[in-house]
Amino acid sequence: MSSTPTGFFSFVGGLSRFGVKALASAVMPPYEWQFFLREMEDVGWRSLPLIAAAGLALGVVTALHTRGTLVNFGAEALIPSLQSASFFNELGPLVTGLLISGRVGAGIGAELSNMRGTEQIDAIEAMSADSFKSLVVTRVVACIVVLPMLTVFMDFTGLLGGFFSEHMASGISLQLYIHRAFNTVGWVNFIAPTLKTTVFGFIIGAVSCYYGYTIDEGSAGVRRAATSSVVMSSLLVIISDVFLVKLIFFFFPGKAL
Amino acid sequence: MSEALAVEFKNVSKSFGDRKVLQDVSFQIEDGKALCILGRSGTGKSVTLKLMIRLLRPDSGSISIETEDIDHLPEKDLSRVRRKIGFLFQSAALFDSLTVANNLAVPLHHFEKAMSPEDVQHTVEELLAQVGLEKDKDKLPGELSGGMRKRVGLARALILKPTLLLVDEPSSGLDPITAGEIDALLLKVKQERHTTLVIVTHDVREAHKLADTLAVLDQGSLVGYGTLEELKRSENEVVKQLVSEP
Repeated sequence: MSSTPTGFFSFVGGLSRFGVKALASAVMPPYEWQFFLREMEDVGWRSLPLIAAAGLALGVVTALHTRGTLVNFGAEALIPSLQSASFFNELGPLVTGLLISGRVGAGIGAELSNMRGTEQIDAIEAMSADSFKSLVVTRVVACIVVLPMLTVFMDFTGLLGGFFSEHMASGISLQLYIHRAFNTVGWVNFIAPTLKTTVFGFIIGAVSCYYGYTIDEGSAGVRRAATSSVVMSSLLVIISDVFLVKLIFFFFPGKAL
Repeated sequence: MSEALAVEFKNVSKSFGDRKVLQDVSFQIEDGKALCILGRSGTGKSVTLKLMIRLLRPDSGSISIETEDIDHLPEKDLSRVRRKIGFLFQSAALFDSLTVANNLAVPLHHFEKAMSPEDVQHTVEELLAQVGLEKDKDKLPGELSGGMRKRVGLARALILKPTLLLVDEPSSGLDPITAGEIDALLLKVKQERHTTLVIVTHDVREAHKLADTLAVLDQGSLVGYGTLEELKRSENEVVKQLVSEP
């Protein structure tokens, strides 16, 4: 992205057009199911270990921190509900978005830029196949579909980590932990924040595909595409989160935490 | 009677930003003949090939493939014309995630959707045998040498039996023996299938071997066009340097 105002607006315009084109192409036949399923596997299935490890660790750590504070007020019974509220509302969606922008965004940016540099995209176009549809649309849609699923997985591994921590500290049973965790959260606290990750998925997919598909500068370009994909998609995920949280408050006042 | 035209460039110009890559270039290639495009780096040789298959579009002028103006064709007709063109890219452009056999099968899956898996496999194996790589069909491109990659790229370019074969720097990065093997394959394709060849090269020796006609580009302009003997009589310094006996 250029540091000049013209370059900035040119980047924003280019990225916006690219994203809109990806969404519009996604609903137009033909549908590239084979490529889409392969991307689902790559973006979703192969991210599960990372999400599971991060969720468990984050669950343990947040439970430990919360206990350290709440025990002073004799309120450690609130730990499960604080865990569920923090994971469902913010930690799960945001951390999943950031982890996927790192793992998947860098991969997509580097892969597509390499394909551009080695003329693989030209080879697809030379066969009159739609490279945008098979390479970009499938990845963007896969990110949109997979992000909420991974977020749910992150939420529940986070709660599991919290349970392990609490069980070690207080001997709480799984049944009681679950009862306390879900006692105070409603469907809105779960569904709205989870669905907002479709926007994160769109951002990650569109930004990383944009850099990968348009940068053609050899090996230096591959590096630039990978780095820019991660930095820009992470930044946009965080910024969009602010607006999305405000939006959830607007539509469900008093519900979203 | 003269042969039908396979390719015709009429006053083609192409720029990238302020940089003029081709300026008012015109030439013709007859069906079944081989044209070698010579010139120094950055003179628009590869751009010329990409214009022929509409990977790039000219700023002005027209490009006809077998009398069809490729720049104004709708997508459906463009696909039909591209079906007749094979392209061996400079880097071979093999799909990294696919095996050699699957790389060759991609054009068949795209253009010959009715073909049975057995026929696809048979066609792929036949082509791989022709380029001497039948034992490497399950390898990934990353496991192949530069020469092997070029041969796989050539097999993929030939799999739909194109009438026009575009070849970008067939010998770049290869040792003389492997480069000679690729040239021999190209000559065989031309002679046995009557395929029109357009070859971009730096290698004058290769051009001597393959070409019926040579075109010399310099700073985006066509400064020489004709047979080797004709170009040897050219007054242009760049042409003289390029076509002198190696």
